[in-house]
Amino acid sequence: MIGEPLFDAATIRARVRDLGAEISRDYAGTLPIFVGLLSAAAPFLADLTRAVTIPCELDVISVNRFGQGDGIAFQKDLACDIAGRHVILVDDTIDTGLTLHYARKVLLGRGPASLAVCTLLDRPHRRIADIEIRYRGFELPDVYVVGYGLDYLGRYRELPALYAHGTWPA
Amino acid sequence: MASSRSPFAHASEAELARLLDFYGIPWQYEPRSFPIAWDERRRPVEFFTPDFYLPEYDLYIELTVAKPIRNTRKNRKVRLLRDSHPHVNVKLFTKRDVERLFSRAARARAS
Repeated sequence: MIGEPLFDAATIRARVRDLGAEISRDYAGTLPIFVGLLSAAAPFLADLTRAVTIPCELDVISVNRFGQGDGIAFQKDLACDIAGRHVILVDDTIDTGLTLHYARKVLLGRGPASLAVCTLLDRPHRRIADIEIRYRGFELPDVYVVGYGLDYLGRYRELPALYAHGTWPA
Repeated sequence: MASSRSPFAHASEAELARLLDFYGIPWQYEPRSFPIAWDERRRPVEFFTPDFYLPEYDLYIELTVAKPIRNTRKNRKVRLLRDSHPHVNVKLFTKRDVERLFSRAARARAS
């Protein structure tokens, strides 16, 4: 089902390193807090926070997905208060943008000093919510991607590279 | 927000409405028809009514579940709408888009 990597491990490492450097420059003199959207963003979040060269903090959230319950809500909320803080919301893939739009709206309601969006992958083909993406790893064509935290029905998260899956799951 | 009893033309439209409701995104179903062709006296002779309007994003969405080879008519209407109303933000979701939007794994991790 998967063949050659779309982005191999070295390419991902280099891009994450660049993003870390860019964030370090932009947030120099501050103590930003990275907020990761579980579960698929976990490897990216871990690598990104190790790539920044300034002090930072780390927290995670998770939300239920379409088909799980009547409406979107946080399943796991932040452990810290973000009021007055510089927040970097980290996602693995932005597709429709609807989940991230919700998470962003909730977090903005808590009064952060700023909130920027960072995504490993941007697949704009079916974008509905107009999200301003400040840090973007790679832009994707309309393919289903696995590896580096991204799964196909629970599989392939452990792979170190990103692969186009041969079929889009039904 | 329309109720679940709203008369959708196709099941995929009802599914998109459910998706938008889940995310708390306000929507309107076929709220407006746009003239897209005119006769020689500038009277409109053809209209296009996109399926959904999302006021929060000022975005119209048209769904089609026809096979790609039969999308010509919808593509033409969307193109004419963009040409004649360049300020209108419209997006066409094809059969493949609809299938992928609602696929099991995509739903499980859609962001």
